[in-house]
Amino acid sequence: MDVRYINPFINSLINTLKMMMDLDAVAATPFVKDNSKTSGDITGVIGFAEKKIMGSVALSFPEKAALMLFEGMTGEATDEINRDVEDCIGEVANIVAGGAKTEMAGQGLSFNISVPSVVVGQNHSIRHKAETPVIVIPFSVKDETFVMEVTMKLTD
Amino acid sequence: MKILVVDDSATMRRIIINHLKQAGYSDIVEASNGVEALSRMSGIELVLTDWNMPVMDGLSLVKEIRHNPNFSSVPIIMITTEGAKEEVLEALRNGVNDYIVKPFTKQIILEKIEAVVG
Ligand SMILES: [Mg+2]
Repeated sequence: MDVRYINPFINSLINTLKMMMDLDAVAATPFVKDNSKTSGDITGVIGFAEKKIMGSVALSFPEKAALMLFEGMTGEATDEINRDVEDCIGEVANIVAGGAKTEMAGQGLSFNISVPSVVVGQNHSIRHKAETPVIVIPFSVKDETFVMEVTMKLTD
Repeated sequence: MKILVVDDSATMRRIIINHLKQAGYSDIVEASNGVEALSRMSGIELVLTDWNMPVMDGLSLVKEIRHNPNFSSVPIIMITTEGAKEEVLEALRNGVNDYIVKPFTKQIILEKIEAVVG
């Protein structure tokens, strides 16, 4: 997968957390994923598709990180992953995917994004949409960490 | 002013409504998709709508409102992740008065509302 397709997602994630929650996310070195398990307790997934593009982005958070984002978004604290937190993580994934989509459209690469789906539970698997390597980008925010997984395949 | 906030994300509706209430707008109605929104249009003076939603998306909602003589002149602001130039133009062509791209700040939302209804 071309790194040119990774940077719009990293930029969008950092921008989303800054604007919606006033949180500063810092990206660490990306790596290629070697199994289907995610590291988080809750994961928001968005698929994208167009004639020539297939792929998906997943944001996977440990519980504490998800609760921190929820509080940052809504101004309300909660101590467990509930329906509201699931909705919040789905919408964060939606905004991150949308921002990346917008940046890539500027580079002549356009695609549609799906409505978000959210998976909850330890050691859950995420089925990405393309049969191509999945790139994992670790992030840290304050004392919490989480990952973004991106895969994108151009067909022709 | 009676405002209809349409978004499939309850979180996003909550954020937008909190911003509106803090700015003194208290008469607010919610809907989670276009079909629900159409059933709640009575007396609405401003619509804030998402684009990507299940059941009926925001662009279809805009078209429905603009083709309904009862509501065709109600101002509509789209608040969506769809920020690519083509999408913005398509929304404006179909009768959206203004356009806000997520992520947004409270200030952006309030300024756009002022510009549309102020
Ligand atoms: Mg939506």
